[in-house]
Amino acid sequence: MKQLFDTGQENETKTEETSFDRTLTLRIGSVCCALKCDDDGVYQRLHKLYQGFLIGEPPDITVELKATDRLSLKNLGAAVSRTRYVHNKKGGHFRTNSRIISGEYDLAQRLITIMGERNLANPDLKLNHLNRLLSLAYYSACKINYDDKIPEMLVHSCGILRDGQALVFTGPSEAGKTTIARLCGRRDGEVINDEMLLISRPDRNGTGVHVQNAPFLGTFSSQRNIKSPLRCILMLKKGSRTTIRCLEKTEAYLRFMRQIITPAYIGQKDKRAVLALMAGFSAEVTGAVPVYELEFTLNGGALWQAMGELEWALDKKGQL
Amino acid sequence: MTKYITQAQDVIWHRIGDDIVVIKDNGLTTHILNKTAAFIWEMCNGKCGIDEITKRLYEYFEVSRDEARADASDTINIFNKKGIIKYTSVPVG
Repeated sequence: MKQLFDTGQENETKTEETSFDRTLTLRIGSVCCALKCDDDGVYQRLHKLYQGFLIGEPPDITVELKATDRLSLKNLGAAVSRTRYVHNKKGGHFRTNSRIISGEYDLAQRLITIMGERNLANPDLKLNHLNRLLSLAYYSACKINYDDKIPEMLVHSCGILRDGQALVFTGPSEAGKTTIARLCGRRDGEVINDEMLLISRPDRNGTGVHVQNAPFLGTFSSQRNIKSPLRCILMLKKGSRTTIRCLEKTEAYLRFMRQIITPAYIGQKDKRAVLALMAGFSAEVTGAVPVYELEFTLNGGALWQAMGELEWALDKKGQL
Repeated sequence: MTKYITQAQDVIWHRIGDDIVVIKDNGLTTHILNKTAAFIWEMCNGKCGIDEITKRLYEYFEVSRDEARADASDTINIFNKKGIIKYTSVPVG
């Protein structure tokens, strides 16, 4: 299977053919995470969910998934919403307060073992826990490979690809990320993902920030492993009209920081260190990319007209 | 005895343009420092006391010594009340 990046590069990807092996290796930004399933049903479901991100490279980290059957789907749904992770003080083990997931880890061996309810991979259940599992695996792999210089961070956002560049719409839950995706028709752009995106740091020149899709599941997640330059960030605000306001740097820094998915690797206990990573990343990105506040309504025509005018202004500014 | 002034260990800060943003309490509290406060903040490096900060303010901002002293004292008092600095009896850092 070939995947096309918007830069014109093609990557060969390879799907695991044998269900005996039941290992899926996913590309997530700059790292590869392997999911090793002991259950064929779970394997098949995850294979279908993540098929656009499967790759045949050696993994940076392996997550062994062992399925348990303690709860019905109905009871599991209720349990998921109140689940919190509890880490063993000595390290190496964790569980959830709802007991739907438990596990152990050894980053030196690049291995996380998880015993979790089989139905967590059920398509009828909201996929928050799969996203949470993958983000944990991603940041753990980054810790192994890059220590604290994480090359791309996950941001709670909706990405729209237009004319080869990405607009990133971000904001807390219910801010309107999925609404933006719903309002995006074929002529308006391509939805990259309406839940989470990977955003890179700028390069040494303070430019070159890019957005990359990742296997994090929302309502409109593209199966394409898209990577494209970031044109600008728009902080969402629901309102009674469509307007765009340029944010001054301090406001942009503080508001964007709050949308970064906590970059904690498994077993990370130092909250200050995690916050420092988020603050540093926000300072770098908002210093390199224009950030706006977008107040919008359900009028898609007005929205994309405003986006077109903004893009024109940015292009004109870039030419000066 | 000189009291040296140092930034509290549990804060994170970044310079954003002319401002400095100080974050405390694991992100629950933020303080945005204007140009003068940012200048004073960067001098809270464990090597300076109020006298040194006053002197540098006077030199850099072209104000009177009394104004510099008042600005330094008021700002340091605010930093202290907000828990973002500490005093030490010996230089650190």
